[in-house]
Amino acid sequence: MPNDADALADRVRRLAEFLAASDALRVRIEREDEDIEVARYGKAVAPVTVVMAIDGVAAFEPPPLKVDAIKADLVGIFRLSRPTPLEGELLATDRELAFVEALGMRNPVRSLGGGRIVSIAAEDGAAVEYGQPLFLVDRG
Amino acid sequence: MIANRGEIALRINRACQELGVPTVAIFSEPDRESLHVRQADEAFCVGPGPVPRSYLNIPNIISTALITRCDAIHPGYGFLAENARFAEICADHGLTFIGPKPSVIAAMGDKATAKRIMHEAGVSTTPGTGILAGAKEARKHAESFGYPVLLKATAGGGGKGMRVVERPEDLERAYASATAEAEASFKDGRVYMEKLILNPRHIEVQVLGDESGNIVHLGERDCSMQKPSHQKLVEEAPAPNLGDAMRTKLHEMAVRACRHSKYTNAGTLEFLASGDDVYFMEMNTRIQVEHPVTEMVYGIDLVKEQIRIAAGELMGYEQRDLIARGHAIECRINAEDPRNNFAPQAGAVSKVVFPGGPGIRVDTHVHSGSSIPPYYDSMIAKIVAHGDTRDAAIARMERALRETVIEGVNTTVEFCRDVLATPEFRSGHYNVGTLPTMLEAKV
Repeated sequence: MPNDADALADRVRRLAEFLAASDALRVRIEREDEDIEVARYGKAVAPVTVVMAIDGVAAFEPPPLKVDAIKADLVGIFRLSRPTPLEGELLATDRELAFVEALGMRNPVRSLGGGRIVSIAAEDGAAVEYGQPLFLVDRG
Repeated sequence: MIANRGEIALRINRACQELGVPTVAIFSEPDRESLHVRQADEAFCVGPGPVPRSYLNIPNIISTALITRCDAIHPGYGFLAENARFAEICADHGLTFIGPKPSVIAAMGDKATAKRIMHEAGVSTTPGTGILAGAKEARKHAESFGYPVLLKATAGGGGKGMRVVERPEDLERAYASATAEAEASFKDGRVYMEKLILNPRHIEVQVLGDESGNIVHLGERDCSMQKPSHQKLVEEAPAPNLGDAMRTKLHEMAVRACRHSKYTNAGTLEFLASGDDVYFMEMNTRIQVEHPVTEMVYGIDLVKEQIRIAAGELMGYEQRDLIARGHAIECRINAEDPRNNFAPQAGAVSKVVFPGGPGIRVDTHVHSGSSIPPYYDSMIAKIVAHGDTRDAAIARMERALRETVIEGVNTTVEFCRDVLATPEFRSGHYNVGTLPTMLEAKV
């Protein structure tokens, strides 16, 4: 029968594996007598916290994301505006995030309101087509 | 770049592949899974389903051509194929428009200018007048042309301000109502008159011209089997029962007109033929839907020729090198319900089996499981049969239509079989009135 330290190490390892296989930034288990948190650093990913339920403790369901896709409405070259928007960044209000360069014209891509940038879906300097997602913004 | 969709986009892609030319396809959102998208080297979505926002979206189309570093744009037929402004915009951006010069497209697109050019080239046009000053002048011209005549609004379109006058006693009333309707519709009551050619044959001549001024014709096509909406359904080359004198006259007129207008690339002159008379109707400055019947008879790939000519190459052959062999027939397979006034059909095509075997060519973008969006032309395939003789081509086409299976939408397959079985088609004695009369009899 494994001792307490082995059991704890096993739980941490399982959490680390779960974290590696997901987009989550941090995983935390809360029990009456034990808190375990595993987090990752260094990679800019969406700050999603997953709280797992084990040993009969009820799960906390995070509110669903209300994610809008901001799409290209013309064909051209996608360029990020300055200051460069970042994934995870909070947008207080409407703001120009990028522009699509077409036929020598600079066509702004705006956030159309506040929110958090979940993902920058197109590469800076790449050709984009009509309807292509450029940004995913969480309006929640 | 191929600025089109459906079967003609695939047709152009095939020509490019055989020439070793990489391709860029454009597509609308509902066409994302289309064959022309999958078979091109690159593909860009240029807009949503409706045509004005996608296949007519000039800024997105030109932008796509520029960012993919295209050298040339083939417009196919329809959409931007005869848009002189688009051809100019291509030139402004350093893109070669695969077709004639913008000025020639514009001239042929304007009925009055085209008629004047033909007149200068010695090509007979439908007898007609300038703007009429009143009913009295109209009567004088009608008597010289002979009844029936057609009154047309100079600002006209969609049949508004148009009246057929069959008898002298009807002229005055028809003139009054035509001018009133034209005034109400276009705020321009001016009308002119043309001689009405009753139930003519629709015969067209294929031409090619290069930058050196070499102009050749590739014979004629008979496109008289038309629905009441004037859409062609069955075409054939050469035209049956035409007579050598009439055939030569048509070919010579077409070449003369092209020489006069310094025409380059592929084009088609459409004529109305009635008895021994033949009149220029219009010129299409593009590839035609029915071009495969000419290709089957002459063994020339017209789309490859278009691309070569646009690249500045000379044709390298003359009229005497072109020899017609055998006979070809094309049936247009449309997603339409012939029992319901040819109402267009949209939806999923659950099963498709196209014919094959000797002498059969199928140009299509449709396959089992593909979807027909509601936004576009209903033509889903062209079946072309070639034979040593007209009878052999008919027999081959009947066999090909029997082999054809299309499930999920109504089509014109059965209707084309009925048309081929009519005594008029069998004998080759038919005109633009034949199909509407056949439909009326069925009703």
